[in-house]
Amino acid sequence: MQKRWLSMTAVLTAIALVAAACGGGGTSGTTSTPSGAAATTAATAVGEVIIASDLPTSGADASSGLPTQNGAAFAIAQTKSYKGITITFKPFDDTVNGVHDPQKGAQNVQQMLSDPKVIAMVGPFNSNVARAEIPIANQGPLAMMSPANTNECLTQTFPYCDPQPAALRPTGKNNYFRIAAPDTVQGPAMADYIIKTLKLTKVAVFSDNETFGKGVADNFVKRLTATGGVLTNRSDFDWKTTNDFKPFINAAKAAGAQAIYAGATSATKACIVRSQMQGILDVPFTGPDGIGDDQCLKDSGSNTANMYFTNAAGDAAQNPDAASIVAAFKQAYPKASDLGAYTFPAYDCAFILVDAIKRAIDAAGGKVPTRQQVIDAVQATSGLKGTVGTYAFDANGDPKSATMAFWASKGTPAVWTFQSQFSVGQ
Amino acid sequence: MVSSVANARTRLLAGSRGKLLNATLFLIIAIAVIILATKVATLGPAYFVQILVYGLANGSIFALIALGYTMVYGIVELINFAHGDVFTLGGFISLWLLPTFGVTEGGSVSGAGLILPLLAILVISMVACAVVNVTIERVAYRPLRHAPRLTPLITAVGMSFVLEGVMYLWRGPFNLHYPNVLPTAGIELGGANGPAIGFKDLAVIAIAIVLMVALSLFVERTKLGKAMRATAQDRDAAQLMGIDINRTIAATFFIGALLAGAGGMIFGLYYNTITFDQGFTAGLVAFTAAVFGGIGNIQGAALGGLVIGMIQSLSDGYFDTAWTQVLIFAILVLVLVFRPTGILGMRVPEK
Amino acid sequence: MMIFRTMRKVWATDPRVDPNPLVYTILTVGAILYPVWAQISTGGQGDFLISVLADAGVYILLAIGLNVVVGFAGLLDLGYAAFFAIGAYTYAFLASDHMVVTPLGEAIHLPFWIVLFIGLFVAAAFGLLLGAPTLRLRGDYLAIVTLGFGEIVPRVFKNLSVWTSGVNGISALDKPVLPLWLQGPWSGDSLEVVQNFKIISPMAFYVIMVLLLGICVVLVNNLRKSRVGRAWMAVREDEVAAAAMGVNTVRIKLLAFAIGAAFSGFAGSFYGAKLSLVSPENFGFTVSITILVMIVLGGMGNIPGVIIGSLLIYWVTFLFLPALPPLANEWATKIGLGGLVPPNGDWPGIGEEMHRLQFLIFGIILVLTMLLRPQGLIPSRVRQQELTRGVTEDQTIEDVNAETTA
Repeated sequence: MQKRWLSMTAVLTAIALVAAACGGGGTSGTTSTPSGAAATTAATAVGEVIIASDLPTSGADASSGLPTQNGAAFAIAQTKSYKGITITFKPFDDTVNGVHDPQKGAQNVQQMLSDPKVIAMVGPFNSNVARAEIPIANQGPLAMMSPANTNECLTQTFPYCDPQPAALRPTGKNNYFRIAAPDTVQGPAMADYIIKTLKLTKVAVFSDNETFGKGVADNFVKRLTATGGVLTNRSDFDWKTTNDFKPFINAAKAAGAQAIYAGATSATKACIVRSQMQGILDVPFTGPDGIGDDQCLKDSGSNTANMYFTNAAGDAAQNPDAASIVAAFKQAYPKASDLGAYTFPAYDCAFILVDAIKRAIDAAGGKVPTRQQVIDAVQATSGLKGTVGTYAFDANGDPKSATMAFWASKGTPAVWTFQSQFSVGQ
Repeated sequence: MVSSVANARTRLLAGSRGKLLNATLFLIIAIAVIILATKVATLGPAYFVQILVYGLANGSIFALIALGYTMVYGIVELINFAHGDVFTLGGFISLWLLPTFGVTEGGSVSGAGLILPLLAILVISMVACAVVNVTIERVAYRPLRHAPRLTPLITAVGMSFVLEGVMYLWRGPFNLHYPNVLPTAGIELGGANGPAIGFKDLAVIAIAIVLMVALSLFVERTKLGKAMRATAQDRDAAQLMGIDINRTIAATFFIGALLAGAGGMIFGLYYNTITFDQGFTAGLVAFTAAVFGGIGNIQGAALGGLVIGMIQSLSDGYFDTAWTQVLIFAILVLVLVFRPTGILGMRVPEK
Repeated sequence: MMIFRTMRKVWATDPRVDPNPLVYTILTVGAILYPVWAQISTGGQGDFLISVLADAGVYILLAIGLNVVVGFAGLLDLGYAAFFAIGAYTYAFLASDHMVVTPLGEAIHLPFWIVLFIGLFVAAAFGLLLGAPTLRLRGDYLAIVTLGFGEIVPRVFKNLSVWTSGVNGISALDKPVLPLWLQGPWSGDSLEVVQNFKIISPMAFYVIMVLLLGICVVLVNNLRKSRVGRAWMAVREDEVAAAAMGVNTVRIKLLAFAIGAAFSGFAGSFYGAKLSLVSPENFGFTVSITILVMIVLGGMGNIPGVIIGSLLIYWVTFLFLPALPPLANEWATKIGLGGLVPPNGDWPGIGEEMHRLQFLIFGIILVLTMLLRPQGLIPSRVRQQELTRGVTEDQTIEDVNAETTA
């Protein structure tokens, strides 16, 4: 019994290799030609291209992912075709069990690459998903355009970065772009705002111990202490299991904190802290764009006054040129939950890609361009006016100028209102 | 013969290992206490008192959950993984009932107008959870009572997922805000910046104590309580004495879930947030408490809950919150490895 | 010829005979034909499908390993993902630039093939470390200890800031390299001998995965039939009786635990190399439970069953459920229930509702399998008999114990 089994396996394994050899004939050179551009041109003679998206659109992450996807879908729906080449949208979801998952993201990119019609993607949303996706997309190569990634190490070289951006790009060429200001801008912006505008100096800081939250909190603390502020106490919560934030709040109270900075998002319980501050510590509550949504105001209960957040993108409503687009979007997506902090940044991402694809089609003489040609066209974008900014990219893929906006909630009614915005040159 | 020799050897080994272990444990605890003392000294006594109050409140909630684990384990020797989710269910049901009874955050009712509806909601949620738990026992555990040990354990994990799935479908994956209806004011000790024992903290501790006292009276004094103790000790002998085993076991699940349901509502009122999957960790921590106090031992579970709650608050308040869970689970592993009978343990494991 | 003879033999005899040879045959043929099918059905763009199956292979490896612990030796391990994490992190430490940013200051780049075995031994060592003091405990205490361990390990990786890059995880891990490789259509290139062949293409990963799985299946099957395997069964059925027969129960349980951990570490190294990233968030309790569901559904203790169970559950979790929301939207629109598609008040939309079913589906699979078919889809014959004839309703465990020890 055992012997027969063994020999059978051996024979079958040998057959497996031979059969795989025959079957594998159809693959094009993903191994030896990392530039792989040839793969796209050969297969797509008909005029159709797809812009994919990879965002967390189910589970707890859906509260930020779905509105973002809406923005991209809306932008692409506005340009149905160009010179006979149709442009369509294909969304992917990178959550597993309701939480964004790097492995799922990597599989999605693999799936995009296997479809020759996909020539660019919007996303991802989360920095750790980006880390898994960039190397795979880089070997495609496939242009990635993220509306929301803010981790500085994705594009810029700092001694503390692990891995360095170059390690994520095996081909040595860049394929990743983003329009949000990195955390090196967002955290410090709030530090400046607290010291200069709110005129406060002692701040207690907590984070959700996630890539984004911890990073932005670290950058906040760096600027705060460098400009005369004082860090009273800091906690990095295990947000999935922590429900009792009162020891942190009391430590802040004991140390005389005049404000709280939340390096977290509303999905990681940032605003539960606000709710538990009620009756213990009544000071301004500040945070990054992750707390700028409806969920946060709900979580805060009746304690919604005196809250501030920075948004790593401008407010489309402040841009008179974008008014008609905003109105059209609201007609197509009428619900309040359809619109989030990253809806219009995602709109702009898709808009930049469509613009680049058009130029690439022109450059290719009216034919479907290669993926590399799309990347080159994105890189060459200059002075393109979107709904929340004007875009051009540096060699790292960062925006040459980004907008940072401040929003606040005054309590009654519990809504976020725009305060001010400024432009960050890099 | 063989087994008695083996036992003797195990006891011998346990003896020498025990001494070494006691020394190590003592050392670890001593170091922790010294570090804690220096931290307490720098942050002042007011903060320390405050943390202790939070620890007591935390611990009361854990104790309520731990009691259900310990009772069920005592009687059917099953780790009821779904118990943590029954606890969450208590929070969900009460959250759903609050507006029905006219209780809203910042609402106008207060005094008796607030307390009576809250008590009514508490009772309804407790009973609802108890009914659910008894149904689970009937449907998923009773048919497997004589199956190999792994089978009901895996079923319990499955039931936990079913309950989480139902709550997930019901209210979605987001944190739900639980109205902050209890007065936030409290007794201030030592001025505005001193510690404050909030009305909330007191309410949580008081309800927990009342429920626990009621439970121990029930188990000590009533006939059903006696039947439970008898069944836990020797099921077959109890059956021979004319005790209805099925009814006794169902009653145990019922009472355990009453306490867990109460815990769920108190949790919501105290922390103002609930999530569909909070029962997993809360249940695990409570189970740690039950093991810590000696599983099967009701007083042990209550004590264990308070100790674990205190440890959690001290760790959050004086050390690094990111390591708190690691600390608690490390305690769980260490207690099970070195003293599986717990600090007040009575039931000796088979091997 | 071999295949035909086996198949004919299986079909010719009573269908109640061992289905394993048939399942092995189907699996092997399937493994061979799958890439062919993937490429043909997608017009030569099947890399994605092949890559997915290579990822699923990681889970099959994990399930085979957990099966040794749970299925063979009857020890419930609820923190199995911890060893998976240990294997993956071992690969990340030893095959990336990461160590440069740690106080060590020097990158370590060991070859994939060596780290695969280091990962295996490191995980096994942790298995021994955890198992040695805890395996004396009764079964459900062990479940809790492993559960606690499974909660501790990812958190430790998450909190050891500089050493593990904390929550960021470690990325840009080395790709496996073969010193000498006969390149051909199976790796997507023309036929030639290549030195330092870098494994990037999904097809190459797939071939390696299938080979590794083949080796592991043979190994585990041999183990099962060996003296050790029989001792595992004995301990699973009745520990006291096994001890009385001269089995060193603690040592034999420890061995099962360590071998299970070793498989997990092995799978972890492969996972790290393929994904080129490890992140502390991907080794939680859900992973441990998913693997447990795989073996429970497939048939605890029976390797072909476990493989089928893994493939099924992997398909449900990673492919079917994610694809369900758009499908549900489409169907709802088709049958005139378009109103269900968009979110409305408390209704999150039928797509999201479908996604939310996941927990419920997992739970129901576990409960129903245990209640209706505790032996799983393709049961091990020994276990099936034990479940159907071993213990009956009116006997208590004690009775059976008394019978067996008598």
